[in-house]
Amino acid sequence: MAVNGTPSPFVTLVSSDGFEFHVRRSAACVSATIRRMLDMQNNFSEAQTGICHLENISGIVLEKVVEYFYYNEKHRNSEGVPDMDFPSELCLELLMAADYLIT
Amino acid sequence: MLAKGRGGKIRAPRRGLTKDDVDFDSVWNTLSTAFLEIHSKNASRLSFEELFRNAYKLVLKKKQDFLYDRVVQLEESWLRDHVRPRILGFITPTMTVGSLEQATGTQSNERRIAGERFIRAVTDAFADHQLSMGMITDVLMYMDRVNSQDQRRPSIFATAMALFRTHVLRTPLSEDASFDVLLLLETVVLDMIRMERSGEVIDRPLVRACCYMLEGLYESFTEDESTKLYLTSFEPQFIAASRQFYQEEGKTLLAEADASTFCTHASRRLLEETERCQQTISQITETKIKHVVDEELISTHIRDVINMQGTGVKYMLDNDKIEDLANVFDLISRVDPKKVALKDAVQKRVIELGTDINKSANVISEAPPQPRTAAKTGADAKAAPEKTLSQQTQAAIAWVEQILELKNKFDRVWVEAFRRDGVMEKALEISFQDFINANDRSPEHLSLFLDEYLKRGGRDKTDAEVDALLDNGILLLQYLANKDLFETYYKKHMAKRLLMKKSVSREMERQMLSKMKMKIGNQFTQKLEGLIRDTELSDSLSTQYKEYVNKLGDPDPRRIDLDCRVLTTTVWPFETLFRADNDDESRRECKFPAPVERIRQRFQKFYLDKHTGRKLTWMPSLGDADLRATFTTGGKTRRYEVNVSTYGMVILMLFNDLAPGESLTTEQIAAETNIPKHDLIRNLQSLSLVSKWRLLKKEPMSKDIKPTDKFYFNEDFSSQFLKIKVSVVAGGANRIENSEERRATQKRTDDERGHVIEAAIVRIMKSRKTASHSQLMTETLHQLSGRFQPDVNMIKKKIEALIDREYLERGSDPAKPTYNYLA
Repeated sequence: MAVNGTPSPFVTLVSSDGFEFHVRRSAACVSATIRRMLDMQNNFSEAQTGICHLENISGIVLEKVVEYFYYNEKHRNSEGVPDMDFPSELCLELLMAADYLIT
Repeated sequence: MLAKGRGGKIRAPRRGLTKDDVDFDSVWNTLSTAFLEIHSKNASRLSFEELFRNAYKLVLKKKQDFLYDRVVQLEESWLRDHVRPRILGFITPTMTVGSLEQATGTQSNERRIAGERFIRAVTDAFADHQLSMGMITDVLMYMDRVNSQDQRRPSIFATAMALFRTHVLRTPLSEDASFDVLLLLETVVLDMIRMERSGEVIDRPLVRACCYMLEGLYESFTEDESTKLYLTSFEPQFIAASRQFYQEEGKTLLAEADASTFCTHASRRLLEETERCQQTISQITETKIKHVVDEELISTHIRDVINMQGTGVKYMLDNDKIEDLANVFDLISRVDPKKVALKDAVQKRVIELGTDINKSANVISEAPPQPRTAAKTGADAKAAPEKTLSQQTQAAIAWVEQILELKNKFDRVWVEAFRRDGVMEKALEISFQDFINANDRSPEHLSLFLDEYLKRGGRDKTDAEVDALLDNGILLLQYLANKDLFETYYKKHMAKRLLMKKSVSREMERQMLSKMKMKIGNQFTQKLEGLIRDTELSDSLSTQYKEYVNKLGDPDPRRIDLDCRVLTTTVWPFETLFRADNDDESRRECKFPAPVERIRQRFQKFYLDKHTGRKLTWMPSLGDADLRATFTTGGKTRRYEVNVSTYGMVILMLFNDLAPGESLTTEQIAAETNIPKHDLIRNLQSLSLVSKWRLLKKEPMSKDIKPTDKFYFNEDFSSQFLKIKVSVVAGGANRIENSEERRATQKRTDDERGHVIEAAIVRIMKSRKTASHSQLMTETLHQLSGRFQPDVNMIKKKIEALIDREYLERGSDPAKPTYNYLA
């Protein structure tokens, strides 16, 4: 999707069970792992296609992760932001995903 | 990220990574193949996610140390087996021979091309390595994170850079390992810079890349700023090579070029080095390399350049080479905030030029003895000195004008070339002071100069120009050390201007005084202001007197108008205004003709009525009178208004009482009038010898006045003008003093100074009660320096005198001379 140096503003995140999320690039780059994955200079295959297969993360977790990406980006420059609401049953999986994505 | 206490239990991860075991070797295989792919620039086929996940797995399994070691091994072997041989392949035998040897022609060109190819290979390899390692580090990011938490190992990137340093740059090229790739690289770069310095075009971006590489590599893992290879290895070499280069260049330039070229060259070099630091090497070197240029090219040689024969600062000053001077100034201010060398040269030149001006003024001043001895005929003898005196006056004015011109010139140099620098300003001031005070007549010259312009108001000059000239004159006044001497002269000249009404305007005089007051203080102008005050008082007094006379109702139509100046004795410089040839004669009061005498007495009565207890002394030698004279020859009557000096009037009035054809001898006139002999002779000369206004005929017609000469009223006199002004020979105009007068002035000044010194000593002692000798001396000198340059011996003498007169006594301890004040 990236055509000659001007990367598209959206990327696709694919969960281990095949769900696809179209996410704004800037939001996805909240994750250090995804940021490096998409680095045009490093030019890995993900950077070329704009599609990231995240083999460790299930669709239900990735959805929450993407929600967090946007939440983080929206409130990045403000103070006193309340914590995001997470379903307690996903806690552990989310923690692992966060560790993996270095978020 | 804690969940809120809403229902539902925490789900266990469905597919925990903890469960499946990881086979380190197989995972590492995937990674290492991928890393080699990355090094071979085939990354686009790899999935970052996969590699990252694999590395992540290994780290989760606590295998990060193994992983780290493996990566290091992999990089080592890659650098050793792939990168190093490629770079070594670019090293040609020509490059390794003595780097600074000057190879000629094709050989040097060959070497240069080979060198460039070599450093390009190195920098390219470095850039590749950096890029690849960046990617590998990204893949291993999770490992780095864990590592940095443990703080045990440097990041894999830093390690990889260090590996590049060890395995590529430190590859020994000779047996003893003292000559390695890095050294060769640096030598090539320095060679290129040297080529650029000698005017060749080099591949700047290449050198820049090279320096960039050295800046990115460190001696140690901690990546401390100061351990950059650039700083530890390249920069010292660069500085040393530059030092040598500039040492040599300085020597050759000094031998071959002139001062101007040297300076332009040096400034160009500075610019070049700045540019080089910004574009080719690194900015952090800028101050250091400039320091080298400062030291080797400027500091060492600037004095020689400034004093260079024929082209140095002297030449630049003489030929108004403002740009070159500015160059010299900029260079020397880089290395010496006091600018000693430049200051010395400029001062020397100023004093030389000033001394020339002094000399040329003095040559004219010393001329008079010749004509005086040559023209013995008597008639000429009188005229000749007068002429030379006026010449000397011109010379005095010229002296001031020349100095002003000189000052102007150096002021311009100061503004345009020396950037209004304080040190130079002071230096110029001092040198001007020096040579102005070297001429002991400068106070007189300056006063004459001011007189000239206050008197005529500049016939050929506009008001603004005259104003500027006067301002400049006051500027010079600041330089004078003996201001009291100037005050004496100025007072004398000003008094004459005011009395003879030669001043342009009183307003101008007052302006002048206020300007002086601003520059050198109140005390100085007090007495001078007294002159103006008296003049103004006299003006109103005269009006009052006129009213008084009108009230008396004197009906006499031939009434004589009287305009008197009443002058305070202590303020006006009487002693200089007329010469006391010998006291007896001047004390005798002049006999006025009867009508005048009546008026005189009336005024005296009027004045003394107003101010009791005062004494009026009449000074006819300073006044003038308007006469109406009638001449009849051949039946025609001609009337003229004649303006003569008061003495001239007294003399002419004598002839009123004579029958036509009768004569008076000099002796008779003297007896009738009591005019001092000197003034009498001068007045008779001007009345009888100058054809324009020959009111008296003299017998015999010679230029000398002898006691027995006879004078007749000249009935045949005629003139085309109705009003005639008879000026007295060597009368009113202010001119330079002859040596006799100068001696008198000097003596008077010395006396005056004696009083001032005594007053100062007493003032100091009164407040101090006791003071040591040196203390007293310094303080006295300090107090007096504003007015004149006190003579130490004179002060000592005055202290003695004060002790004699029991104002002071010596302290008891003879080892430490002190004085006590006796109230």
